Amino acid sequence: MWQYSDILMDHFMNPRNVGNLDSPDGHSEVGSPQCGDAMFLDIAIDDQEKIADIAFKTFGCAGAIASASALTEMVRGLPIEEALSIKNSQIAKFLGGMPPEKFHCSVMGHQALKAAVEDFRAKCNEITKVLDEQGITAVLVRPGRVHLKSKDDIDAAVKALGDRIQRNISVEAG
Amino acid sequence: MKTVYLDNAATTKIAPEVLETMMPFLTENYGNPSSFHSFGSSQMEAVEIARGQVARLLGAKSEEIYFTSGGTESDNHALRGAVKMDSSRRGIVISAVEHPAVLDTARSLAKEGYPLGIAEVDTNGELDSDSLQQLVSTETAIVSIMAANNETGVVMPLKESAEIAHRSGALFHTDAVQMVGKEPIDVHSMGIDILSLSAHKLHGPKGVGAIYIKKGIQLPPVLTGGHQEKGFRSGTYNTPGIAGLGKAAELALTHLDDTAVKERALRESFEKKIVDSCPGSFIVSEKAAHRLPGTVTIIFRGIESEAVLTLLDMQGVYASSGSACSTGSKNSSHVLTAMGVDFNLSNSALRFSLSRYTTQEELDHTVKLLESIVERLRRISPYAE
Repeated sequence: MWQYSDILMDHFMNPRNVGNLDSPDGHSEVGSPQCGDAMFLDIAIDDQEKIADIAFKTFGCAGAIASASALTEMVRGLPIEEALSIKNSQIAKFLGGMPPEKFHCSVMGHQALKAAVEDFRAKCNEITKVLDEQGITAVLVRPGRVHLKSKDDIDAAVKALGDRIQRNISVEAG
Repeated sequence: MKTVYLDNAATTKIAPEVLETMMPFLTENYGNPSSFHSFGSSQMEAVEIARGQVARLLGAKSEEIYFTSGGTESDNHALRGAVKMDSSRRGIVISAVEHPAVLDTARSLAKEGYPLGIAEVDTNGELDSDSLQQLVSTETAIVSIMAANNETGVVMPLKESAEIAHRSGALFHTDAVQMVGKEPIDVHSMGIDILSLSAHKLHGPKGVGAIYIKKGIQLPPVLTGGHQEKGFRSGTYNTPGIAGLGKAAELALTHLDDTAVKERALRESFEKKIVDSCPGSFIVSEKAAHRLPGTVTIIFRGIESEAVLTLLDMQGVYASSGSACSTGSKNSSHVLTAMGVDFNLSNSALRFSLSRYTTQEELDHTVKLLESIVERLRRISPYAE
């Protein structure tokens, strides 16, 4: 048995933020081919580009599950860039220390977050591109909702997005 | 907390009768059996009693049993000795699922230039005899096939493998560490030339074992020195350990039939209850023709074995897994890999191994814990449906 801290064991036994988000702004599925661990991550991003909600699932040891749980707690409410800058050592510290052999467990959470943010950005870019082609100006683009500058563009935006993107996107002006 | 020990393939508890047999040699009877004086030389009687007890368990003659420090030493002796017997025979042939004591020793000899052939196993973990046949030639010094696998419990075809070795004039060795005391072994009728065994797997002490070497085979020693064991194995007699091994062998022989029936029945009902109550679980090597009475590896799809072990450990149940996750890499079980088990599934494998002391109640308690552990971890898992 590894010498795990009480905090780590608590996150292993009662992991926070387990599951899926209903309509995530970003989703990722990452795995470590060396150790076989895997992680699915969903994120919701608010208007200020902060992580509003987060949920994960992990296949891995106690260290991997606890690290994933810790990361989700640490990044909730943080701006994306700040969340991405969290280091393994901070996760280990948050968990009250980790056996050095288990430091690698926390790497996967970082990879999952990075991939989920990339997924979020790609989806936003896809929407922005469709709107640009139509000459429509958006003030806010999220994978599930778009705020347009002018309400006159609503019908055109709904049509363009509906034709091109296989996802429900609510379109409003404001 | 009630504890349940289900890792008897790793090591077993010392039987009370064994400890009792050992105690005098750990206290007042500390003389060296090789000494001239009677205080020491009288201890040789205990060594010879133990030799007879081990011989009886194997159907061997007393003079064919040599005491060693355990299974690893016996395996090293067999392989390292055999390749030095005849310069025209330098080859080693083993199976892909051997214990590291054989596998790594054979690989180390291969690096020194001794040709190594590794016979395959099928998806049930059973030896592919055709593959073995193809690797054995008149240049083979020794064929080494384990009696039973430590992870799957699959019993190997010893007699058939010995015949394959003998047809080419090679020696046949078996690492019988997992099998001795669990299933009947008769070295002469099975055609075994050399056999390794370890005391601590059959309720004896750690640090002692034996090697059976068929009479007439001049296996060169690996450990040289004081000429104990007729020069086959030097080193001061571990009298307490040897006496303990002898007693453990005697007890194992007494319990052999009962143990096989009782353990097998317990293991089979344990397997059925787990498969019925834990979604995604299945038995490795379930279709193998012959498995040890008390050893089983179970795969719990979608959950990682170390997480299960950790939760079991917290609740006082001790089992094991073939893989270990540390410093960023996982050494998956070479046994499951050789059987073609998918990497992810092999990371979900747990081994439970019973002993003659294991009870129905202990196993039922374990099933109950596993049921909730599996449910808990499947909720977290990305792979569970």
